[in-house]
Amino acid sequence: MNKKTISLVLGLMCVVLSFGIAVQIKTINGTGTTISTNTRENELRDAVLKAKEKYDNLYKKLEDMETQLETERTNSTQNNDELTKLENTIKGGNKILGLSEVKGNGIVITVDDNQNIALSSWYADPNWLIVHDIDIINIVNELKNVDAEAISINGQRIVSTSAIECDGNVIKVNGQKIGAPFVIKAIGYPELLMGLDRFGGYLDYLRDERFLNVDIEKVDKEDIIIPKYTGVMKFEYAESK
Amino acid sequence: MKIKVNKEKLVMSITIGIACFALMLVMFMQFKMVKQTDITAIETMRESELKLELSSWNEKYKQLYARYEEVVTKMEEYKNESVTDQKTAQLLEAELEQLNELLGKTDVVGQGIVIQLIDNQGKKISEDATVYAISKENLLRVINELFAAGAEAISINGNRVISTSAVYTIGTDILKINNGNKISSPYVINAIGNPDYLKSSVSGKGGIVDELEELGHETSVDIRDEIEIEKYSDDISTKYIK
Repeated sequence: MNKKTISLVLGLMCVVLSFGIAVQIKTINGTGTTISTNTRENELRDAVLKAKEKYDNLYKKLEDMETQLETERTNSTQNNDELTKLENTIKGGNKILGLSEVKGNGIVITVDDNQNIALSSWYADPNWLIVHDIDIINIVNELKNVDAEAISINGQRIVSTSAIECDGNVIKVNGQKIGAPFVIKAIGYPELLMGLDRFGGYLDYLRDERFLNVDIEKVDKEDIIIPKYTGVMKFEYAESK
Repeated sequence: MKIKVNKEKLVMSITIGIACFALMLVMFMQFKMVKQTDITAIETMRESELKLELSSWNEKYKQLYARYEEVVTKMEEYKNESVTDQKTAQLLEAELEQLNELLGKTDVVGQGIVIQLIDNQGKKISEDATVYAISKENLLRVINELFAAGAEAISINGNRVISTSAVYTIGTDILKINNGNKISSPYVINAIGNPDYLKSSVSGKGGIVDELEELGHETSVDIRDEIEIEKYSDDISTKYIK
Protein backbone atom coordinates (compact mmCIF):
# COMPACT_ATOMS: atom_id res chain seq x y z
CA MET A 1 0.00 0.00 0.00
CA ASN A 2 1.48 3.31 -0.89
CA LYS A 3 1.17 6.49 1.09
CA LYS A 4 -1.54 7.90 -1.16
CA THR A 5 -3.94 5.03 -0.54
CA ILE A 6 -3.34 5.15 3.18
CA SER A 7 -4.05 8.86 3.30
CA LEU A 8 -7.17 8.39 1.21
CA VAL A 9 -8.49 5.61 3.43
CA LEU A 10 -7.71 7.54 6.58
CA GLY A 11 -9.28 10.70 5.20
CA LEU A 12 -12.41 8.82 4.27
CA MET A 13 -12.65 7.24 7.67
CA CYS A 14 -12.25 10.57 9.40
CA VAL A 15 -15.01 12.08 7.27
CA VAL A 16 -17.37 9.22 8.05
CA LEU A 17 -16.63 9.35 11.76
CA SER A 18 -16.97 13.11 11.97
CA PHE A 19 -20.22 12.88 10.09
CA GLY A 20 -21.50 10.29 12.54
CA ILE A 21 -20.57 12.40 15.52
CA ALA A 22 -22.06 15.52 13.99
CA VAL A 23 -25.36 13.69 13.38
CA GLN A 24 -25.39 12.42 16.92
CA ILE A 25 -24.69 15.77 18.44
CA LYS A 26 -27.38 17.32 16.32
CA THR A 27 -29.92 14.68 17.39
CA ILE A 28 -29.13 15.22 21.01
CA ASN A 29 -29.25 18.98 20.61
CA GLY A 30 -32.54 18.63 18.81
CA THR A 31 -34.09 16.68 21.64
CA GLY A 32 -32.64 19.17 24.06
CA THR A 33 -34.63 22.01 22.60
CA THR A 34 -37.94 20.26 23.01
CA ILE A 35 -37.20 19.37 26.58
CA SER A 36 -38.56 22.03 28.84
CA THR A 37 -36.05 24.44 30.20
CA ASN A 38 -37.58 23.94 33.58
CA THR A 39 -34.77 22.53 35.68
CA ARG A 40 -37.15 20.97 38.16
CA GLU A 41 -38.59 18.89 35.35
CA ASN A 42 -35.16 17.91 34.17
CA GLU A 43 -34.21 16.82 37.65
CA LEU A 44 -37.33 14.73 37.86
CA ARG A 45 -36.58 13.28 34.47
CA ASP A 46 -33.17 12.27 35.69
CA ALA A 47 -34.65 10.74 38.79
CA VAL A 48 -37.12 8.74 36.72
CA LEU A 49 -34.36 7.43 34.49
CA LYS A 50 -32.29 6.48 37.51
CA ALA A 51 -35.21 4.74 39.14
CA LYS A 52 -35.86 2.83 35.94
CA GLU A 53 -32.24 1.83 35.67
CA LYS A 54 -32.22 0.68 39.27
CA TYR A 55 -35.29 -1.40 38.57
CA ASP A 56 -33.78 -2.92 35.44
CA ASN A 57 -30.62 -3.86 37.31
CA LEU A 58 -32.54 -5.54 40.06
CA TYR A 59 -34.65 -7.30 37.47
CA LYS A 60 -31.54 -8.78 35.91
CA LYS A 61 -30.41 -9.99 39.32
CA LEU A 62 -33.83 -11.49 39.91
CA GLU A 63 -33.68 -13.36 36.62
CA ASP A 64 -30.29 -14.79 37.57
CA MET A 65 -31.62 -15.84 40.92
CA GLU A 66 -34.67 -17.47 39.35
CA THR A 67 -32.42 -19.54 37.11
CA GLN A 68 -30.42 -20.57 40.16
CA LEU A 69 -33.60 -21.46 42.01
CA GLU A 70 -34.66 -23.68 39.15
CA THR A 71 -31.28 -25.40 39.08
CA GLU A 72 -31.36 -26.01 42.83
CA ARG A 73 -34.91 -27.25 42.58
CA THR A 74 -34.01 -29.67 39.80
CA ASN A 75 -30.97 -30.82 41.75
CA SER A 76 -32.99 -31.65 44.79
CA THR A 77 -35.72 -33.47 42.89
CA GLN A 78 -33.81 -35.41 40.27
CA ASN A 79 -33.51 -38.65 42.21
CA ASN A 80 -37.14 -38.96 43.07
CA ASP A 81 -39.99 -39.48 40.59
CA GLU A 82 -42.65 -38.08 42.91
CA LEU A 83 -40.69 -34.90 43.44
CA THR A 84 -39.91 -34.52 39.74
CA LYS A 85 -43.62 -34.72 39.07
CA LEU A 86 -44.26 -31.95 41.57
CA GLU A 87 -41.51 -29.88 40.04
CA ASN A 88 -43.04 -30.26 36.59
CA THR A 89 -46.40 -29.14 37.94
CA ILE A 90 -44.72 -25.99 39.23
CA LYS A 91 -43.04 -25.38 35.87
CA GLY A 92 -46.31 -25.90 34.04
CA GLY A 93 -48.12 -23.59 36.43
CA ASN A 94 -45.57 -20.84 35.88
CA LYS A 95 -46.18 -21.08 32.16
CA ILE A 96 -49.95 -20.72 32.55
CA LEU A 97 -49.47 -17.89 34.98
CA GLY A 98 -47.18 -16.09 32.56
CA LEU A 99 -44.02 -16.24 34.65
CA SER A 100 -42.00 -18.01 32.00
CA GLU A 101 -41.50 -17.56 28.29
CA VAL A 102 -43.51 -19.93 26.10
CA LYS A 103 -43.54 -20.89 22.45
CA GLY A 104 -45.87 -22.76 20.18
CA ASN A 105 -48.24 -22.64 17.23
CA GLY A 106 -50.84 -19.95 16.93
CA ILE A 107 -51.67 -16.71 15.22
CA VAL A 108 -50.32 -13.20 14.94
CA ILE A 109 -52.78 -10.33 14.52
CA THR A 110 -51.66 -6.84 13.56
CA VAL A 111 -54.05 -3.92 13.97
CA ASP A 112 -53.10 -0.43 12.92
CA ASP A 113 -54.78 2.99 12.70
CA ASN A 114 -55.99 4.14 9.33
CA GLN A 115 -53.95 7.21 8.51
CA ASN A 116 -55.61 7.94 5.21
CA ILE A 117 -56.43 11.63 5.58
CA ALA A 118 -58.74 11.68 2.57
CA LEU A 119 -60.80 9.01 4.26
CA SER A 120 -60.98 10.79 7.60
CA SER A 121 -62.17 13.99 5.98
CA TRP A 122 -65.44 12.44 4.85
CA TYR A 123 -65.69 9.95 7.64
CA ALA A 124 -68.07 11.16 10.33
CA ASP A 125 -65.84 10.63 13.31
CA PRO A 126 -62.06 10.40 12.78
CA ASN A 127 -61.86 8.68 16.16
CA TRP A 128 -63.26 5.61 14.48
CA LEU A 129 -60.14 5.26 12.39
CA ILE A 130 -57.98 4.78 15.48
CA VAL A 131 -57.44 1.63 17.51
CA HIS A 132 -58.92 2.06 20.99
CA ASP A 133 -58.45 0.19 24.24
CA ILE A 134 -61.88 -1.39 23.92
CA ASP A 135 -60.88 -2.82 20.52
CA ILE A 136 -57.89 -4.54 22.06
CA ILE A 137 -60.03 -5.73 24.99
CA ASN A 138 -62.51 -7.26 22.54
CA ILE A 139 -59.82 -8.98 20.50
CA VAL A 140 -58.21 -10.43 23.63
CA ASN A 141 -61.62 -11.60 24.82
CA GLU A 142 -62.27 -13.32 21.49
CA LEU A 143 -58.87 -14.99 21.69
CA LYS A 144 -59.64 -16.30 25.16
CA ASN A 145 -62.98 -17.50 23.86
CA VAL A 146 -61.20 -19.73 21.32
CA ASP A 147 -58.95 -21.13 24.06
CA ALA A 148 -55.78 -19.16 23.49
CA GLU A 149 -53.29 -20.36 26.10
CA ALA A 150 -50.91 -17.41 26.02
CA ILE A 151 -51.38 -13.90 24.62
CA SER A 152 -49.08 -10.91 24.25
CA ILE A 153 -49.60 -7.40 22.90
CA ASN A 154 -46.50 -5.64 21.63
CA GLY A 155 -44.42 -7.88 23.87
CA GLN A 156 -46.56 -7.44 27.00
CA ARG A 157 -47.77 -10.79 28.26
CA ILE A 158 -51.45 -10.88 29.19
CA VAL A 159 -51.83 -12.39 32.65
CA SER A 160 -54.92 -12.88 34.78
CA THR A 161 -54.72 -9.40 36.30
CA SER A 162 -53.64 -7.52 33.17
CA ALA A 163 -55.59 -4.37 32.32
CA ILE A 164 -55.73 -2.63 28.97
CA GLU A 165 -56.17 1.09 29.55
CA CYS A 166 -56.44 4.17 27.44
CA ASP A 167 -53.79 6.74 28.30
CA GLY A 168 -54.11 9.76 26.06
CA ASN A 169 -53.06 8.69 22.62
CA VAL A 170 -51.34 5.51 23.68
CA ILE A 171 -52.61 2.33 25.31
CA LYS A 172 -51.26 0.91 28.53
CA VAL A 173 -50.94 -2.83 29.04
CA ASN A 174 -49.63 -4.03 32.39
CA GLY A 175 -48.95 -0.38 33.14
CA GLN A 176 -46.52 -0.14 30.20
CA LYS A 177 -47.24 2.23 27.35
CA ILE A 178 -47.57 0.76 23.88
CA GLY A 179 -48.60 2.35 20.60
CA ALA A 180 -49.96 1.39 17.19
CA PRO A 181 -49.41 -0.84 15.29
CA PHE A 182 -50.56 -3.41 17.81
CA VAL A 183 -49.10 -6.86 17.31
CA ILE A 184 -51.13 -9.43 19.17
CA LYS A 185 -49.65 -12.90 19.44
CA ALA A 186 -51.61 -15.89 20.65
CA ILE A 187 -50.65 -19.51 21.17
CA GLY A 188 -53.26 -22.23 20.88
CA TYR A 189 -54.85 -24.48 18.28
CA PRO A 190 -54.22 -22.43 15.10
CA GLU A 191 -57.34 -23.53 13.20
CA LEU A 192 -59.52 -22.56 16.14
CA LEU A 193 -57.72 -19.26 16.66
CA MET A 194 -58.19 -18.42 12.98
CA GLY A 195 -61.88 -18.35 13.79
CA LEU A 196 -61.31 -14.73 14.75
CA ASP A 197 -61.14 -13.98 11.05
CA ARG A 198 -64.72 -15.12 10.53
CA PHE A 199 -67.40 -13.04 8.84
CA GLY A 200 -69.13 -10.90 11.46
CA GLY A 201 -66.30 -11.30 13.96
CA TYR A 202 -64.65 -8.38 15.68
CA LEU A 203 -61.71 -8.25 13.27
CA ASP A 204 -64.15 -8.19 10.38
CA TYR A 205 -65.92 -5.27 12.02
CA LEU A 206 -62.64 -3.40 12.50
CA ARG A 207 -61.72 -3.97 8.88
CA ASP A 208 -65.07 -3.34 7.20
CA GLU A 209 -66.75 -0.72 9.32
CA ARG A 210 -63.85 1.03 10.96
CA PHE A 211 -61.45 0.82 8.00
CA LEU A 212 -58.55 -0.15 10.25
CA ASN A 213 -55.59 -2.05 8.87
CA VAL A 214 -56.04 -5.60 10.13
CA ASP A 215 -53.79 -8.50 9.34
CA ILE A 216 -54.04 -12.06 10.62
CA GLU A 217 -51.47 -14.75 10.08
CA LYS A 218 -51.38 -18.41 11.04
CA VAL A 219 -48.05 -19.57 12.41
CA ASP A 220 -47.00 -23.23 12.50
CA LYS A 221 -43.70 -24.86 13.44
CA GLU A 222 -43.96 -23.50 16.97
CA ASP A 223 -42.53 -20.24 15.81
CA ILE A 224 -44.47 -17.97 18.12
CA ILE A 225 -42.54 -16.87 21.18
CA ILE A 226 -44.43 -15.08 23.92
CA PRO A 227 -42.31 -13.44 26.60
CA LYS A 228 -42.91 -13.75 30.29
CA TYR A 229 -44.68 -11.18 32.44
CA THR A 230 -42.08 -8.79 33.77
CA GLY A 231 -44.02 -7.50 36.75
CA VAL A 232 -44.42 -9.02 40.18
CA MET A 233 -47.44 -11.12 40.97
CA LYS A 234 -48.33 -11.05 44.58
CA PHE A 235 -51.53 -10.73 46.53
CA GLU A 236 -51.60 -8.07 49.21
CA TYR A 237 -55.30 -8.01 49.93
CA ALA A 238 -56.48 -11.47 48.97
CA GLU A 239 -55.66 -14.36 51.23
CA SER A 240 -56.26 -18.06 50.66
CA LYS A 241 -58.76 -19.53 53.03
CA MET B 1 7.90 -15.01 5.42
CA LYS B 2 9.57 -12.22 7.25
CA ILE B 3 7.63 -9.14 8.05
CA LYS B 4 9.53 -5.90 7.94
CA VAL B 5 8.78 -3.68 10.83
CA ASN B 6 9.19 0.00 10.40
CA LYS B 7 9.16 1.52 13.85
CA GLU B 8 7.88 4.88 12.80
CA LYS B 9 5.04 3.42 10.76
CA LEU B 10 4.05 1.10 13.58
CA VAL B 11 3.80 3.94 16.06
CA MET B 12 1.71 5.94 13.63
CA SER B 13 -0.64 3.05 12.92
CA ILE B 14 -1.13 2.38 16.60
CA THR B 15 -1.83 6.03 17.30
CA ILE B 16 -4.37 6.22 14.52
CA GLY B 17 -5.88 2.93 15.64
CA ILE B 18 -6.35 4.22 19.16
CA ALA B 19 -7.85 7.45 17.87
CA CYS B 20 -10.33 5.55 15.71
CA PHE B 21 -11.21 3.27 18.58
CA ALA B 22 -11.85 6.22 20.87
CA LEU B 23 -14.05 7.89 18.29
CA MET B 24 -16.04 4.72 17.73
CA LEU B 25 -16.47 4.33 21.46
CA VAL B 26 -17.82 7.85 21.76
CA MET B 27 -20.24 7.17 18.94
CA PHE B 28 -21.52 3.97 20.44
CA MET B 29 -21.94 5.63 23.78
CA GLN B 30 -24.02 8.27 22.12
CA PHE B 31 -26.12 5.71 20.32
CA LYS B 32 -26.66 3.82 23.51
CA MET B 33 -27.63 6.90 25.44
CA VAL B 34 -30.18 7.89 22.86
CA LYS B 35 -31.61 4.40 22.88
CA GLN B 36 -31.73 4.10 26.64
CA THR B 37 -33.39 7.34 27.49
CA ASP B 38 -36.47 6.31 25.54
CA ILE B 39 -36.93 9.95 24.76
CA THR B 40 -40.31 9.82 23.09
CA ALA B 41 -41.99 8.67 26.26
CA ILE B 42 -40.31 10.81 28.80
CA GLU B 43 -39.51 14.12 27.13
CA THR B 44 -43.10 15.11 26.66
CA MET B 45 -44.05 14.51 30.28
CA ARG B 46 -44.90 17.37 32.56
CA GLU B 47 -43.97 17.70 36.20
CA SER B 48 -47.05 16.01 37.62
CA GLU B 49 -46.71 13.11 35.23
CA LEU B 50 -43.05 12.75 36.03
CA LYS B 51 -43.81 12.65 39.73
CA LEU B 52 -46.33 9.89 39.17
CA GLU B 53 -43.90 8.02 36.97
CA LEU B 54 -41.19 8.29 39.60
CA SER B 55 -43.35 7.06 42.43
CA SER B 56 -44.62 4.22 40.28
CA TRP B 57 -41.08 3.08 39.50
CA ASN B 58 -40.15 3.29 43.18
CA GLU B 59 -43.22 1.29 44.10
CA LYS B 60 -42.40 -1.29 41.46
CA TYR B 61 -38.85 -1.48 42.75
CA LYS B 62 -40.10 -2.23 46.24
CA GLN B 63 -42.28 -5.06 44.96
CA LEU B 64 -39.48 -6.41 42.84
CA TYR B 65 -37.12 -6.33 45.78
CA ALA B 66 -39.56 -8.29 47.92
CA ARG B 67 -39.85 -10.85 45.14
CA TYR B 68 -36.07 -10.99 44.81
CA GLU B 69 -35.61 -11.71 48.50
CA GLU B 70 -38.28 -14.38 48.32
CA VAL B 71 -36.54 -16.15 45.45
CA VAL B 72 -33.19 -15.96 47.25
CA THR B 73 -34.70 -17.50 50.37
CA LYS B 74 -36.32 -20.28 48.39
CA MET B 75 -33.15 -20.99 46.49
CA GLU B 76 -31.16 -21.27 49.69
CA GLU B 77 -33.75 -23.51 51.24
CA TYR B 78 -33.51 -25.93 48.35
CA LYS B 79 -29.77 -25.81 48.58
CA ASN B 80 -29.74 -26.62 52.27
CA GLU B 81 -32.52 -29.15 52.34
CA SER B 82 -31.48 -31.09 49.30
CA VAL B 83 -30.37 -33.95 51.54
CA THR B 84 -33.79 -35.15 52.58
CA ASP B 85 -36.58 -35.77 50.11
CA GLN B 86 -39.19 -35.10 52.73
CA LYS B 87 -38.04 -31.52 53.25
CA THR B 88 -37.83 -30.96 49.51
CA ALA B 89 -41.39 -32.21 49.13
CA GLN B 90 -42.50 -29.68 51.74
CA LEU B 91 -40.80 -26.87 49.87
CA LEU B 92 -42.35 -27.94 46.60
CA GLU B 93 -45.79 -28.15 48.16
CA ALA B 94 -45.39 -24.65 49.56
CA GLU B 95 -44.43 -23.29 46.16
CA LEU B 96 -47.34 -25.08 44.55
CA GLU B 97 -49.73 -23.62 47.06
CA GLN B 98 -48.56 -20.11 46.26
CA LEU B 99 -48.84 -20.83 42.56
CA ASN B 100 -52.38 -22.14 42.88
CA GLU B 101 -53.37 -19.04 44.77
CA LEU B 102 -52.16 -16.84 41.93
CA LEU B 103 -53.77 -19.10 39.33
CA GLY B 104 -57.15 -18.70 41.01
CA LYS B 105 -57.40 -22.28 42.20
CA THR B 106 -58.01 -21.39 45.84
CA ASP B 107 -60.87 -19.65 47.60
CA VAL B 108 -59.68 -16.24 48.74
CA VAL B 109 -60.91 -13.64 51.23
CA GLY B 110 -60.03 -10.01 51.67
CA GLN B 111 -61.37 -6.49 51.60
CA GLY B 112 -62.83 -5.09 48.43
CA ILE B 113 -66.01 -4.04 46.71
CA VAL B 114 -69.25 -5.59 45.52
CA ILE B 115 -70.84 -4.21 42.37
CA GLN B 116 -74.41 -5.02 41.55
CA LEU B 117 -75.84 -4.38 38.09
CA ILE B 118 -79.52 -4.91 37.39
CA ASP B 119 -80.37 -5.01 33.73
CA ASN B 120 -83.33 -2.78 32.84
CA GLN B 121 -83.49 -3.92 29.26
CA GLY B 122 -86.61 -2.75 27.45
CA LYS B 123 -87.61 -0.17 30.05
CA LYS B 124 -88.89 3.04 28.50
CA ILE B 125 -86.82 6.06 29.46
CA SER B 126 -88.59 8.44 27.14
CA GLU B 127 -91.22 8.19 24.44
CA ASP B 128 -89.02 6.61 21.82
CA ALA B 129 -86.02 5.43 23.77
CA THR B 130 -85.69 2.13 25.58
CA VAL B 131 -82.83 0.74 27.62
CA TYR B 132 -80.44 -1.65 25.89
CA ALA B 133 -79.29 -4.84 27.59
CA ILE B 134 -76.02 -4.90 29.52
CA SER B 135 -73.57 -6.29 27.00
CA LYS B 136 -70.51 -8.48 27.28
CA GLU B 137 -68.50 -5.39 26.40
CA ASN B 138 -69.93 -3.60 29.45
CA LEU B 139 -68.87 -6.45 31.71
CA LEU B 140 -65.45 -6.67 30.07
CA ARG B 141 -64.95 -2.99 30.77
CA VAL B 142 -65.95 -3.38 34.41
CA ILE B 143 -63.45 -6.23 34.83
CA ASN B 144 -60.75 -4.31 32.99
CA GLU B 145 -61.21 -1.17 35.09
CA LEU B 146 -61.06 -3.22 38.29
CA PHE B 147 -57.82 -4.91 37.28
CA ALA B 148 -56.41 -1.54 36.26
CA ALA B 149 -57.13 -0.37 39.81
CA GLY B 150 -55.19 -3.32 41.24
CA ALA B 151 -57.88 -5.93 41.80
CA GLU B 152 -56.34 -9.25 42.83
CA ALA B 153 -59.35 -11.51 42.44
CA ILE B 154 -62.67 -10.96 40.66
CA SER B 155 -65.77 -13.06 40.24
CA ILE B 156 -68.97 -12.50 38.30
CA ASN B 157 -71.99 -14.28 39.70
CA GLY B 158 -69.66 -16.70 41.45
CA ASN B 159 -67.46 -17.38 38.42
CA ARG B 160 -63.83 -16.61 39.14
CA VAL B 161 -62.16 -14.55 36.43
CA ILE B 162 -58.81 -16.16 35.58
CA SER B 163 -56.27 -15.57 32.84
CA THR B 164 -58.24 -17.52 30.24
CA SER B 165 -61.71 -16.24 31.16
CA ALA B 166 -63.78 -14.91 28.28
CA VAL B 167 -67.22 -13.35 28.40
CA TYR B 168 -69.31 -13.97 25.33
CA THR B 169 -72.83 -13.70 24.02
CA ILE B 170 -74.96 -16.64 23.02
CA GLY B 171 -78.04 -15.79 21.03
CA THR B 172 -79.16 -12.26 21.64
CA ASP B 173 -78.73 -11.54 25.30
CA ILE B 174 -77.48 -14.55 27.22
CA LEU B 175 -73.96 -14.09 28.47
CA LYS B 176 -71.53 -16.90 29.14
CA ILE B 177 -68.26 -16.95 31.02
CA ASN B 178 -65.45 -19.48 31.59
CA ASN B 179 -66.23 -22.27 29.15
CA GLY B 180 -69.94 -21.87 29.14
CA ASN B 181 -71.38 -20.99 32.54
CA LYS B 182 -74.45 -18.89 31.87
CA ILE B 183 -74.80 -15.63 33.72
CA SER B 184 -77.63 -13.15 33.72
CA SER B 185 -78.89 -10.06 35.54
CA PRO B 186 -78.55 -9.22 38.35
CA TYR B 187 -74.80 -9.30 37.82
CA VAL B 188 -72.90 -9.42 41.08
CA ILE B 189 -69.24 -8.64 40.68
CA ASN B 190 -66.95 -9.21 43.64
CA ALA B 191 -63.47 -7.75 43.62
CA ILE B 192 -60.70 -8.00 46.22
CA GLY B 193 -58.13 -5.22 46.40
CA ASN B 194 -57.76 -1.72 47.80
CA PRO B 195 -61.46 -0.81 48.24
CA ASP B 196 -61.02 2.93 47.67
CA TYR B 197 -59.06 2.49 44.46
CA LEU B 198 -61.51 -0.09 43.21
CA LYS B 199 -64.55 2.01 43.96
CA SER B 200 -63.22 5.20 42.43
CA SER B 201 -62.15 3.36 39.28
CA VAL B 202 -65.68 2.30 38.37
CA SER B 203 -68.00 4.82 39.99
CA GLY B 204 -68.10 8.57 39.73
CA LYS B 205 -68.15 10.67 36.59
CA GLY B 206 -66.94 8.74 33.60
CA GLY B 207 -66.75 5.44 35.47
CA ILE B 208 -68.29 2.46 33.76
CA VAL B 209 -70.83 1.78 36.53
CA ASP B 210 -71.89 5.42 36.47
CA GLU B 211 -72.26 5.15 32.72
CA LEU B 212 -74.49 2.10 33.03
CA GLU B 213 -76.62 3.94 35.58
CA GLU B 214 -77.03 6.80 33.12
CA LEU B 215 -78.04 4.33 30.42
CA GLY B 216 -80.94 3.31 32.62
CA HIS B 217 -79.74 0.32 34.63
CA GLU B 218 -79.85 -0.06 38.37
CA THR B 219 -76.41 -0.16 39.92
CA SER B 220 -74.71 -0.16 43.28
CA VAL B 221 -71.13 -0.23 44.52
CA ASP B 222 -70.42 -1.21 48.12
CA ILE B 223 -67.21 -1.39 50.05
CA ARG B 224 -66.85 -4.48 52.22
CA ASP B 225 -64.30 -5.45 54.84
CA GLU B 226 -64.46 -9.07 53.93
CA ILE B 227 -65.38 -10.61 50.63
CA GLU B 228 -65.04 -14.23 49.75
CA ILE B 229 -64.27 -15.21 46.19
CA GLU B 230 -64.57 -18.79 45.12
CA LYS B 231 -61.86 -20.66 43.29
CA TYR B 232 -61.95 -21.58 39.63
CA SER B 233 -63.22 -25.10 39.87
CA ASP B 234 -62.29 -26.61 36.49
CA ASP B 235 -58.88 -27.85 35.52
CA ILE B 236 -56.62 -25.31 33.89
CA SER B 237 -54.88 -27.41 31.29
CA THR B 238 -52.72 -26.45 28.35
CA LYS B 239 -51.82 -28.36 25.23
CA TYR B 240 -50.13 -25.93 22.92
CA ILE B 241 -47.67 -23.89 24.94
CA LYS B 242 -44.22 -25.36 25.15
